[in-house]
Parts: sequence; structure tokens; C-alpha cells
Amino acid sequence: MIKVRALSKAFGGYDHGSAEVLALSDIDLEVRDNEFVTVIGPSGCGKTTLLRIIAGLIPYDQGEVSIDGRAVIGPGPERAVVFQNFALMPWADVLSNVAFGLEIRGASTDQCQAKAKELIKLVGLQGFERRLPKELSGGMQQRVGLARALAVNPQILLMDEPFGALDEQTRRLLQEQLLRLWERERKTVVFITHSMDEAVMLGDRVMLMTPRPGRVKEMINVPLGRPRSREVEKSSAFLEIKEYLWDNLRAMQAGDA
Amino acid sequence: MKTNLARDWGPRCVVFAAIVGLWEFFLSHSGNFLLPRFSEIVSGAYRLVFFEPRFWQALFISNQALLIGYAMSVAVGIPLGLIAGRLRWMDRILNPYVGVLLALPVAPLIPIVIIALGLGLAARVFIVVLFAVVFITVNTRAGVRGVEASLIEMAYSFGASEAQIWRRIVIPGAMPAIFAGMRIGLGRAITGMVMVELLLVATGLGRLLLEFSGRMQSDLVFATILVVIIEALSLLAAMQTIERRVARWAPDISVG
Repeated sequence: MIKVRALSKAFGGYDHGSAEVLALSDIDLEVRDNEFVTVIGPSGCGKTTLLRIIAGLIPYDQGEVSIDGRAVIGPGPERAVVFQNFALMPWADVLSNVAFGLEIRGASTDQCQAKAKELIKLVGLQGFERRLPKELSGGMQQRVGLARALAVNPQILLMDEPFGALDEQTRRLLQEQLLRLWERERKTVVFITHSMDEAVMLGDRVMLMTPRPGRVKEMINVPLGRPRSREVEKSSAFLEIKEYLWDNLRAMQAGDA
Repeated sequence: MKTNLARDWGPRCVVFAAIVGLWEFFLSHSGNFLLPRFSEIVSGAYRLVFFEPRFWQALFISNQALLIGYAMSVAVGIPLGLIAGRLRWMDRILNPYVGVLLALPVAPLIPIVIIALGLGLAARVFIVVLFAVVFITVNTRAGVRGVEASLIEMAYSFGASEAQIWRRIVIPGAMPAIFAGMRIGLGRAITGMVMVELLLVATGLGRLLLEFSGRMQSDLVFATILVVIIEALSLLAAMQTIERRVARWAPDISVG
């Protein structure tokens, strides 16, 4: 279980005298085991900062962040991150990229190869093991990123706008693939997004954040069943939540646009 | 591969033929008896390589300074660049000195180096290093800086240690720029080698050049330069072959 209590984070200027910017203020969040939580909010609301703190990539100022009762002080083997810009090593082929996390965590070469091949198959990239990232489409690159994260068999998957850089069709296909993967092997997922469809389609709960400083505006239950298919997009519950999210987001951004 | 060869070497040969043709044409009309025709340079190079025993000796002496100096430049320049690229505080310390080395006209320093280190190999090696090292450092540093921060973060998120980040992310990511620096550095090292031999330490190829120009044997002067160019091109080609294997993923960024 991920537990965030009264979390605050400010970014200081590099020079003396420049004012600190409060990115997150008083965040409370609990993510139960095997729960899929999506986080949505206007640009600059600190949702990526929140994810990076849970991932242990950046320190926080106040509050508590813990996983199964242990305070987060850095990255840990129970967590894996999927990055918005894929973060693939351009000099390494698909196989090496997928095996990267395993190798860093000290698995033997044989184990790495076997596990990486298994994951490549799982995300539907068999035959592309020896290709370089630049030879793949954006969607395929992010499938490599997903396979790399899943390869270390994390209990928690932290996804930072993973499909944000992809075109609409690719994004929808990957959403469906992620849903199927998650329904087969449940993990705890925190999924940052700026797409309302995506937030409702994927999440058990949607966390709505306010603009800077980021606070939790509301936790919204998504009363849609599992397994979920595209059909739910036509359901009144789906449309209602989406409408509700949009009303809120529009109100928040009224001054900016 | 074959199509590549044809694609590259066809136009190259055309350009070469055009330059040689223009050269011959202007000389046959200018009446300048000191400038050799291209054909004379080629025959001069032939005589030099096959019938001038001092040439091989000179080539050996010059290359001693070049290879030792270049190897030292690589051995010092790359680590310095890596450190300056990754560690901000080291970069802040090194930055002014790198600037000095970049702006420094090395040629006027040659007499001082000779006074300090004597007329031997050490002085020549030192000059070669002065010419080459900073370009290797600057390119390596730029390469390290160019490694995407998100890749380092990604490695860190899997729990990578600093050593693992160096070995798996920083060095491979900087590799294309390191090669670019090594290529530019090689060109500079050759310049330094010839410069020091011409200006003060009359030895090696520089001494031959001085002798030939003293006797107005301009064909042999050009022939010697031609040999230096051919050597430089061969070394660069060898380096490019390695580069293509190590850094085939990167767009070609090297200059020089």
C-alpha cells in the first residue's frame, strides 16, 4: 500500500533571493494493493512531482510517504517507473533495453535474457529484439518502456503520462493493452495523465488535483466493472465522470487559457 | 556497402580530378617556376618514399612525438571531459583553464616550452598535447552534458549506483562526442607536430621540409605535405571505422 500524508514540496530557485515555488501542498493519498489510481489535473499542478516523490527520485520537504509502512527514501525494488519520453537507451537494442533493470538489480545474464524475451513477447514485440529504439514507432518504444518496468516484477507500477507523447490511435491501443495486462496480473498502479478519457477508462479511482500549489481536490470512484472494454465509454457513468472532471478542470483553468 | 562506396567515391574522384585539373591548368599558364605542377608533386612523393632513406627516418621521428603526444592527450583529455561533464563543481574549477587553452595561441609558446624542456622528444610531445588535449576535453564534456537527464533518472529509478550510471549510461551516451573530439584532436596533434619541427626543433618531417624549401625543391616540399595528409587521412579513416562500430546508433555529429 502506498501512503502519502500531508506531503509538501517546494522547488527553490538556484540563486539566493529567488522565491521558492510551492509545487505540492498537503497531499493525502492512499493507494491500496492492486488498485489502479489515475491522477489528473491542470498543467503544472505537480502531478509528475508527486509521482517522482513516490518513485524516490526526488526528496520531499514535509509529510510522510511510505510503502507498506516503510518510509520512501529512494528508489526501491518493489517499484518501477514508466517514463513519458520512454527513456530508452538509443545505443542499445530492444532486448538490452528491456533487460536493463534486471541487470542493474544484479540478475545473471541468462536470467536477464530469458526474462526480457518473455516480456518482449508479452508486449507483442517479438521479432524486434535486435532493433534500435530509433527504428521503432513511438507506441512500440513505450511498449519497450513498459516491458522494462514489468521485467523487474514490481509490485507497484508508477506511470508518468506514459501515453502522452503518442498519437490518439496508438494511445487507445496501448490503453487497451495495459488494461488487459493489468487485469491478468494485478499490480498497484499510479498513472499520471492529462487525458480525461484515459483517467476514467483505466482507473479504479481518479485523483483530481488543483493548480499550483497542487492539492487533492477530490478522489472520485469510478463505478465501472472489470474487465473493462471500450464499450464503457458509451455508458452514462463514464460520461458523467468525464463531464464532472471537465467542469472542474475548466473552472480551474478559466483564468489561464 | 558496394552502393555506398560508389555513391561516396564517384563524386569524390570527380572533385579531385577537377582540383588537379585546375591546378595544372593555372600553372601551365602562370609561368611561376617555383610552384610545382601536381604531376611533379606526385613524382616527388614517389622519389621521397622509395629513394630517400632520410624520409622514413624523419617519418618515424615525427610520428614518435605525434603518437605519444596524441595518446597522452586522449588519456588525459577524455577523463577530464568526463569529470567536467558530470560534476558541476569540477566543471566550475576547470572552466577558466579550458577557456585559456582554447584561446591560447600555442605557436608563440613553443620557444618557452623548448627552453623549459630542451630540444628533445619531451618538448615535442608536450607541444602536441598542448595542441590537441583541450579539443578532446571540450567535446567529451559536451557529450556527457548531452546525455539525456531522463536516462540517468531512469537508471537511478532501477536502483543503479553511480558507477553503474557511468558505465551503462554516461560513457556510452557520450561516445559519439568523444570520437568527434578524438578526430579533431588528431588533426590538431598533426598540426602541432609539424609546427614544432618547423619552428624550432629541426627534426623529423619538419627538418626535411626546411631543407627542401631551403634548396627551392618545391616539388619535394609539397610531396612531404602530401604524405602528411595521406597519413592523417588514413588515421582518421581507421578511427571512423571504429566509431561506426561503437556509435552506430548516433547521428554523425563529428566535425573535423
